[in-house]
Amino acid sequence: MRPRLIVLLALLGALLAVGGPAVADADGEPQVVRVGTEGVYPPFTYRDPDTNELTGFDVEVMRAIGDEAGWDLRFVEAPFDSLFPALDSDRIDVIANQVTITGEREARYLFSTPYTYSHGVIVTAKDTDDITSLDDLKGRTTAQTASSNWAQVAKDAGAKVQYVQDFGPGVELVVQGRVDAIVNDNIAVLDYLATSGNDQVKIAGDAGDEVLEQALTFRQSDPDLQQEADDAIATLTEDGTLAEISEKYFGADVTVQGGAEDVDVDASDSRTTWEVVKDTAWPMFVGLVKGNIPLTICSFVIGMVLAIAAALARLSSLRVLGWIARAYVSVIRGTPLLVQLFIVFYGLPQIGIDLDPYPAAIAALSLNVGGYAAEVVRAAILSVPRGQQEAATVIGMDYWQSMRRIVLPQAARIAVPPLGNTLLSLIKDTALASLVLVPELFREAQVTAAATTEYLPLYTMAALYFWVVCYLVSLAQGPLERRLSRYAT
Amino acid sequence: MTDLIEVRGLEKSFGDHHVLRGVDFSAESGTVTALLGPSGSGKTTVLRSMNVLEMPDAGVVRIGEASIDFATRPDRRAVKALRARSGMVFQAHNLFPHKTVLGNLIEGPVQVQGRPTDEAVADARSLLEQVGLAGREDAYPAQLSGGQQQRVGIARALALRPEVLLLDEPTSALDPELVGEVLAVIRDLAAENWTLVIVTHEVRFARDVADQVLFLDEGVVAERGGPEVLTDPREERTQRFLARVLEAG
Repeated sequence: MRPRLIVLLALLGALLAVGGPAVADADGEPQVVRVGTEGVYPPFTYRDPDTNELTGFDVEVMRAIGDEAGWDLRFVEAPFDSLFPALDSDRIDVIANQVTITGEREARYLFSTPYTYSHGVIVTAKDTDDITSLDDLKGRTTAQTASSNWAQVAKDAGAKVQYVQDFGPGVELVVQGRVDAIVNDNIAVLDYLATSGNDQVKIAGDAGDEVLEQALTFRQSDPDLQQEADDAIATLTEDGTLAEISEKYFGADVTVQGGAEDVDVDASDSRTTWEVVKDTAWPMFVGLVKGNIPLTICSFVIGMVLAIAAALARLSSLRVLGWIARAYVSVIRGTPLLVQLFIVFYGLPQIGIDLDPYPAAIAALSLNVGGYAAEVVRAAILSVPRGQQEAATVIGMDYWQSMRRIVLPQAARIAVPPLGNTLLSLIKDTALASLVLVPELFREAQVTAAATTEYLPLYTMAALYFWVVCYLVSLAQGPLERRLSRYAT
Repeated sequence: MTDLIEVRGLEKSFGDHHVLRGVDFSAESGTVTALLGPSGSGKTTVLRSMNVLEMPDAGVVRIGEASIDFATRPDRRAVKALRARSGMVFQAHNLFPHKTVLGNLIEGPVQVQGRPTDEAVADARSLLEQVGLAGREDAYPAQLSGGQQQRVGIARALALRPEVLLLDEPTSALDPELVGEVLAVIRDLAAENWTLVIVTHEVRFARDVADQVLFLDEGVVAERGGPEVLTDPREERTQRFLARVLEAG
């Protein structure tokens, strides 16, 4: 038992070593700058379907700026709503993701010189004809990402806002008639319409006539980075690099005011559904093997230790221990796992507990498993007759010996079927880890789905992967149960 | 010769229920002491106090060199030392169901006493032979009959090489036809001069093997003496009890 535990802990340690913070440029070493970007918002930031490399307008602009400024860039992909908390908690140093400059954001962050100028448009279903301006949105429902400035624009216009993770799913909601419209910037929408070939939606009108500026976002404590970025942008504008990148993506120079009017994009992905699915299968498998499976193993082992500890504490004659365990179980079972993950990853850094993505995900998942399994383990221990403990006592065993050798092995037999369910839930819950920046299987599906709009096939494949893993685990459960109950007739 | 066992002034209450009200007895090495009495008389509590499965409120228990005065709460080491002097056979055998017969027997010697496994195994085999279960080493308890289970229970207690064997109604949970084989084993132990303290309802058996009989009633020793107590009791409550038990048996 013990050597195996040590191996697992070593594995965990290795995982913890992954990823590191920004390092100042001491001896001429290039400064490491961590760039937060969605990776699911083509053509600005997405994975190239052929190479699976992160690319896009924002990514290329960022790379050009990084080259110019002499930075060593490390890209971190995360949902848009996670980018600002990640910047706040010092997990990334800059956001390159079409962040529009707003008064509210300027109060909290530093912005570089804008590198995109655009204006807002309203997207509706093809046959919607009563929405043509912001005024028409009053009382209607729009789909927006929560931290996007367009959400505020829609709200100000009197619309109800339905929050979605990124633009693509929002469009699906419009097509399905679940929401009435989306407010977004014209470049993104034009590109989407061209790439997806989606003819179920249309641009119904402009969202005001204000020109919007998108820029790199920095922490207020990093004016040096902002200055270096501005210098680089000035140079790149001068030598035509930015214009060149823009032409490549949009057939127009959106890096200057008014340029977005001429945007002309080509359909970029001509693969069939089957090819998309085939090409994504491997990255998803890698996500499973590097993300979901290690997360599951580590969290389950640690969770079981927590569960046994909590169960013994509840059974202890020390009342304080019992109360602590009871509070732990109650809090874990009474709050959503998603909230627990966000508290651990985005909340705790504010009181100085700063975990990297992997350890943070493992911590939250372990605590969650521990809370649920504690009650299972407690009930199993209670089901072992009292006489067993007495028999262990009279042959001279102390408490821990009798637990380890006599009571827990018998409790295990009772606990295995319900703990099997806990394990299956855990496997599926690891899909949430992408929200705290851990790359995993479902994230890969989302990334490709955003670029290709093949939602049904890709999400179905993700489901299939999870199902296969869960099925294999449940196959192992039968023999394990038989082994544990070999002594009972 | 000093007594191997000494119990003095044993008191125990469960809530309002005063179970033991000052129980005294002593026993020499190699003797059989039988505790009899109606249910609720406190006889099992006396036995369970002797290895501190119940913590007495007051009184002294001594087995050999190990002694505890329960006037103050004993520390863990003293309890461990006293327990190490005795082995216990439970009414419901309490064998470890997840371990084989052999596993049950060597668990204490190997895990607690730290004896070498092969020595413990050899010991266990001869004990199994003694209780008539040679060849059943690899069976799990659930595969044995009630009488066989209880004989393994006795062998498990003996495997610790205790000075005293405490038996708590070892035949009460058995079907009548299985009682004989267990009593036969206990009879053999008595013949081999083991020191036994046995709580039992088997009056005839007690009469045959006991050197000392204690009749408990309402938490006190109502009558004590040699086995003749069971044929010719002086106390009226002993007479009533015996009449009832013998009638039922």
